[in-house]
Amino acid sequence: MPILELLDVHKSYRSHLSIRKYWILRGLSLSIREGEIFGTIGTNGAGKTTTIKLALGLIFPDTGVVRLFGEDASKVESRRRVGFLPENPYLYDYLTGEEFLDFHARLFGLGAATRRRRVKDLLERVGLANRGDRQLRHYSKGMLQRIGLAQALVNDPEFVVLDEPMSGLDPIGRREVRDIILDLKARGRTVFFSTHILSDTEMICDRVGLLVKGSLKAVGTIDELVSREVPYWEVTLQGIVNGSLPCGRIVSRREDRILVRVDSQSDLRRLLTVLNGHGATLVSVTPARQSLEDLFIREARGAPPSPARADGGHAHSN
Amino acid sequence: MAPSLLRRGRSLMTLGALACLLLAVIVQGRIEGERRGGSVHPLLYLPSGKFLKVMALGFDGLLADVLYLWSIQYYGNYDIKDRFDYLERIYEQVITELDPHYLDPYLVGALIMTAEARKPEMALKLLDKGVRANPDQWIMPFEAGFLCYNDLHDYRRAAVYFEMAMRVPGVHPLVHRFQAEMYNRAGDKRTSLKEWLEIYKTTTDPYVRSVAWNHVHDLKVDVDLADLKDAVSRFRDKEERAPRRLQEIVASGLLQALPRDPENGDYLYDPWSGEVRYRGVPILGR
Amino acid sequence: MLTRISAIALNTFREAIRHRILYLLLIFAVAMISFAQILSLLTVGSEEKIIKDFGLASIDVFGVLTAVFIGIGLVSREIEKRTVYTLLAKPIHRFEFVLGKYAGLSLTLLVNTTVMTAWFFLVLLIKGMFDARLGVAVLLLFFQFLLITALAVLFSCLSTPILASVMTLALYVIGHLLWSLDLLSARLSTEAGRILCRALYYVLPNLGNFDIKGEVVHGLTVAPGRLLWATLYLLLYGSAVLWTACAVFERKELQ
Repeated sequence: MPILELLDVHKSYRSHLSIRKYWILRGLSLSIREGEIFGTIGTNGAGKTTTIKLALGLIFPDTGVVRLFGEDASKVESRRRVGFLPENPYLYDYLTGEEFLDFHARLFGLGAATRRRRVKDLLERVGLANRGDRQLRHYSKGMLQRIGLAQALVNDPEFVVLDEPMSGLDPIGRREVRDIILDLKARGRTVFFSTHILSDTEMICDRVGLLVKGSLKAVGTIDELVSREVPYWEVTLQGIVNGSLPCGRIVSRREDRILVRVDSQSDLRRLLTVLNGHGATLVSVTPARQSLEDLFIREARGAPPSPARADGGHAHSN
Repeated sequence: MAPSLLRRGRSLMTLGALACLLLAVIVQGRIEGERRGGSVHPLLYLPSGKFLKVMALGFDGLLADVLYLWSIQYYGNYDIKDRFDYLERIYEQVITELDPHYLDPYLVGALIMTAEARKPEMALKLLDKGVRANPDQWIMPFEAGFLCYNDLHDYRRAAVYFEMAMRVPGVHPLVHRFQAEMYNRAGDKRTSLKEWLEIYKTTTDPYVRSVAWNHVHDLKVDVDLADLKDAVSRFRDKEERAPRRLQEIVASGLLQALPRDPENGDYLYDPWSGEVRYRGVPILGR
Repeated sequence: MLTRISAIALNTFREAIRHRILYLLLIFAVAMISFAQILSLLTVGSEEKIIKDFGLASIDVFGVLTAVFIGIGLVSREIEKRTVYTLLAKPIHRFEFVLGKYAGLSLTLLVNTTVMTAWFFLVLLIKGMFDARLGVAVLLLFFQFLLITALAVLFSCLSTPILASVMTLALYVIGHLLWSLDLLSARLSTEAGRILCRALYYVLPNLGNFDIKGEVVHGLTVAPGRLLWATLYLLLYGSAVLWTACAVFERKELQ
């Protein structure tokens, strides 16, 4: 059973003053499997936060179904095993870190002794062990993010949802959050998060979903999405004096070296064979690998998808 | 900016602020001066009490208090020449409309109307309203009665008010004494005597009793003398001569018996002058 | 369920107590009551009425202001600033949130009113003007605060903080003007107009039910049933408002 399931969900919203409807999600279908780390990436306004809010029953779909642990997401009990960290969580400034976590623990009906233990453990886990007694309004942004994360884990949830968990953190903080997420996976939990920082996704996600303008343009493992196919090679040559090349494009020149770009294996072979005739030296051949960023930018700009992939993998909606 | 420049900028701003404040104070003083020169206080254009009651949103008692306090200050200021123009409006139409059970405005308003504005009828109108709105407050009709007595010298009217006050449970006993005396002043000694007798019989206060006795004493004398004079003249009409002795009047059937004076003595009769006299001296020397 | 509601209630109470605006209003109320003393020196006649009127009015006004601003601040702003996301992503029912908030606010108002009243009574005792019936007047004022808080919660669920404040204050004003609506209905010529007026009169919150300030200050008798009816009205009308708030919040989209 998928932990979270969205089936052909459409969501629109109407701004207060106009009658026009803005579509945020158009026919989104998504399924999160148990034990995986799933990251959604997308442009601003693509619908990442909306998807998360739908999953947690904070908003309701216009059409379509949202199911959490097999139950409709609007059902209150479906959230018992869920932990959530919103983007920029506005918290109760006047509470101390401990009081804040204790309050949330109370909402799960945890007993006093359990709460004390849990709060202590959580504070340690997120690196706030000595700051628990300070009021939240004296916390820095990074500290707030951490206490927010602690709050999301207060019930030892099976499914953890994080909206931009890395925002506001310095590289050390980001590394710590990454470690926590990986640790969750090691314990068999499922993690679903949205982010702008693609490098984080590449490092820890099992699967990635790319949201553009309300629909899922690509879903799958990093390998599936970022094809092994090499789109082009960059060849550095030395000693070409004049004449045009049989193929490829000169990208840049420096002193007597030029950087040439060829778009296919066959072009590359042609270029290399011709070199001998010109008396040039080959300095380097570098295949360009597509990164997630390339995929992101390409899809976000609405360019047509890349031609025939070697491995046959392509964007599917699951 | 360099620190010294910053400091200069700041002190400039402070100076500027103080200068503006000073100017503002001067301007305000000017405004006050203008106002003193006879312009009308805006509060005098008060809407009617009924309207204000709606606007007060449940704070009508408080609003009445505030307006009353203001009115005291206003009427205490003898500089304002035409301050009595709005007297009725303020007290009768506004303050007592807002809070009909607030007694001070009635009493003080009436006082101002009578003693200062010399409009006792206006005061009575206000007090009548107070009586209607507060039937359980004896002070209202009492004040009205006192006003009739002291300022209008209308003793009968005063007596009526005092009687109204007397009907209120818990009324101060002195009101009865006022009422009794009013009849005397109005010339109705008989009723006055009746009332003073009542007071004498019912009071437990020895001082009051002695006061009542004094009045009863003198009134009895007056009433008896009046009765006797009247009997003498009736005898004269009937017998066509003056009686030689007072007993003759009794004998002729025109009187049941001769009244005795308060010392249980007889009244003196002088057949030549036809005068009836009391042998003693009135206690209250009137 | 009760543990969750009480957890939210206590949390709300804690938040309210640490809110600076609460203290500001409290200080103002205390100052006003003290000011009454000074003002009463200006009067010719009894100063008792002035001190009592001012005292009760201060408690009334500042209680209402507290109910509105703390109520809106703690609910509407929370919804607007999205603190509420972390809460509602937990397994709690939306109505538990509404009721918990209301309970916390009511507790805050209780403390607030008690402090103001204690100061007021102290002043009266020192001056020898104390009258136990003033306690009843304050109790009814407290009921009024509870009703206004319920309205503040309802409008918080419906709208932005500023609009919610305006609407709640507007209903406070209207609630005190209802008796004039009654008078108006008698003067209307059309039957439809009269029916409309009557309907409005019953639907809108009748805050005059909780106002015995005038009677108590003047020492007039208050019908014993008055307190009972006022309590009943508060329970019923307040429940209606809170239920509506829960219903509204149940399907509210939290953008």
